[in-house]
Amino acid sequence: MNPIGDLYTGGSNGLREIWANKVRSFLSMSGIILGVAALVSMIGIVQGMLGNMQASFEQGGGILKLEVHAAEAPESQQHIAGISPGLTWRDIVAVQRAIPLAVYTTPIVDMNYERFIARGRREGALLYGVTPEFINIGTRELGYGRFVADMDIALKSPVMVIGTHLRDKLFPNLDSAVGQQLRLRGQVYTIVGQLAEIEQASGSRERGNWQNRLNYIPATTAMSRYKGDDKVNEIHVMADRVEDLPDLVEQISNTLTRTHRGIKDFEVRTQEERMLELKKLEDSFIFSLGGIAGISLLVGGIGIMNVMLASVSERIREIGVRKAIGARSHDIFIQFLAEAVVISVLGGIFGLLASIGVLTLAREVIPAGDMISVVPVSAMFYGFIFSSTIGLISGIYPAMRAARLDPIDALRYE
Amino acid sequence: MIEPNVIFRLSGLRRLYTVGSEEVRALDGVDLAICDREFIAVTGTSGSGKSTLMHILGFMDSPTAGRMEFEGKDVTGISGAGRADLRASRIGFVFQSFNLLPRLSVLDNVMLPLTYSRTRVANQRELGMAVLDRVGMGHRASHTPNQLSGGERQRVAIARALINKPRLILADEPTGNLDTKNRSRIMELFSSLLAEGITLVLVTHDDEVASYAGRRIRMEDGKVLEDIQL
Repeated sequence: MNPIGDLYTGGSNGLREIWANKVRSFLSMSGIILGVAALVSMIGIVQGMLGNMQASFEQGGGILKLEVHAAEAPESQQHIAGISPGLTWRDIVAVQRAIPLAVYTTPIVDMNYERFIARGRREGALLYGVTPEFINIGTRELGYGRFVADMDIALKSPVMVIGTHLRDKLFPNLDSAVGQQLRLRGQVYTIVGQLAEIEQASGSRERGNWQNRLNYIPATTAMSRYKGDDKVNEIHVMADRVEDLPDLVEQISNTLTRTHRGIKDFEVRTQEERMLELKKLEDSFIFSLGGIAGISLLVGGIGIMNVMLASVSERIREIGVRKAIGARSHDIFIQFLAEAVVISVLGGIFGLLASIGVLTLAREVIPAGDMISVVPVSAMFYGFIFSSTIGLISGIYPAMRAARLDPIDALRYE
Repeated sequence: MIEPNVIFRLSGLRRLYTVGSEEVRALDGVDLAICDREFIAVTGTSGSGKSTLMHILGFMDSPTAGRMEFEGKDVTGISGAGRADLRASRIGFVFQSFNLLPRLSVLDNVMLPLTYSRTRVANQRELGMAVLDRVGMGHRASHTPNQLSGGERQRVAIARALINKPRLILADEPTGNLDTKNRSRIMELFSSLLAEGITLVLVTHDDEVASYAGRRIRMEDGKVLEDIQL
């Protein structure tokens, strides 16, 4: 016996049979083609989406970032919750002074959606009050000029660091808007810095990445000029090492409990939860997609089995002849199995080609599609292995029927 | 008793079928010895058991009872794979309806047994062309069977039976679908194979065909009725 030879003759005979019955073979392949194309393109799209979320997660500081948010005080403290000042500028100062593990600390003073005016143009965008350390948390980078400085915090300067969206809308002719002035609620601000653009791999700049729409002013400016108090919405803290995180969480909690007069009206969030959510999302995608792909490939397998059974009954006489001239049952079995495998392998290849088409289209059409890989190698690998296995399994029963035929009966068959 | 030139020795061979509740005795105690370079014609009415004998001689079927020796070895209870091996190496089949595969070329049809040969054969095409030339069909190698006449198809089928250099060729009504002119050509071809050391067993109910043979066996009801050496 010679398995390689068996495989070769089986494969080439299989190809010949498939070519001789082009339409039928293609129809039987269609299930596998659709199954593989669906599986690979869905996984490709999901991987792209999750990659996008992962990227924005890392741009925001990744696992080393902690966020302090306001929260409901516990039941037992409800009646005295009013004595807490809430999250304020004092908390920032306290964290910076008391906790060396907090490498970078910034408040987020949320100004919401603001209208910006310059040179007679108007544009709305998001505005936040932050401290200089904000730029060290996460991966955002300056394109031009400088970020908010300590001096700006001390002087409550009317300066602003803008994203490229505002530059495009208010100063369309400029690369850098640094040095330009714009008005916000009737007050004049000088642009001292411009953040580097976060590129969209494909698609127009008009659509752009939402992060390019974010703009920043000194937190003290935001508080004194607009809020009129020293409240902040969030506090972001960056640690140096993952091992420091538990201690850091505890220290922040202790420090803020003191500044909040014992009231626990805040929560310290780690990014671990977000990572877990991301992972859960990925798992649920994989399970549901796996189910869909499994069903469609099952249907494809049934299609192949159907065609192979038809092929066996059509060629009963041929099987008789082959047996009469010396073919063993084993040879006949291999011949028909090889045919089923060739059909599914070809179907798999066509399915992979189709998925490349689908993913290319998805990249263009889906808004945040730039992370979608047109050739998701691992998904393609599994799709191909899966479809070939389906072909192998669905070929077994028809091949057994063919192999078991009695040569005399088969030769008599009309 | 040692007879070096005996290919087949059948003794008390029976083949029984059950059709519904009825038992059919297709072979009912056949004793037969087939020797080297014999040309045997097996005749008989349909249902006489000649086809069953043919199938058993061709290792396509196994006897229910009795003993069967091939080339001095007991092959009575041989396995399916063992029978396939003997079909591939020792036996050539020729059928009434030719049984060429319509999708393959003439040459590919002739080379088909080499696919199942237990020994790797080099120069398969040369060998295929040689046997096609032997039966006078070399000029049609690249045609498909549908482009050939009945007589031509049967020659191709004979070439296919020859390619594995068999000891024995079994032909089941080989001229049944042919006209008189082609019939005598095919029979002359068969006769010429004898000279090459091939033993022939031919089933027919055509007396003229049977007249080419050197030994005639007439069967009836699963028994050998007449065994004449001419």
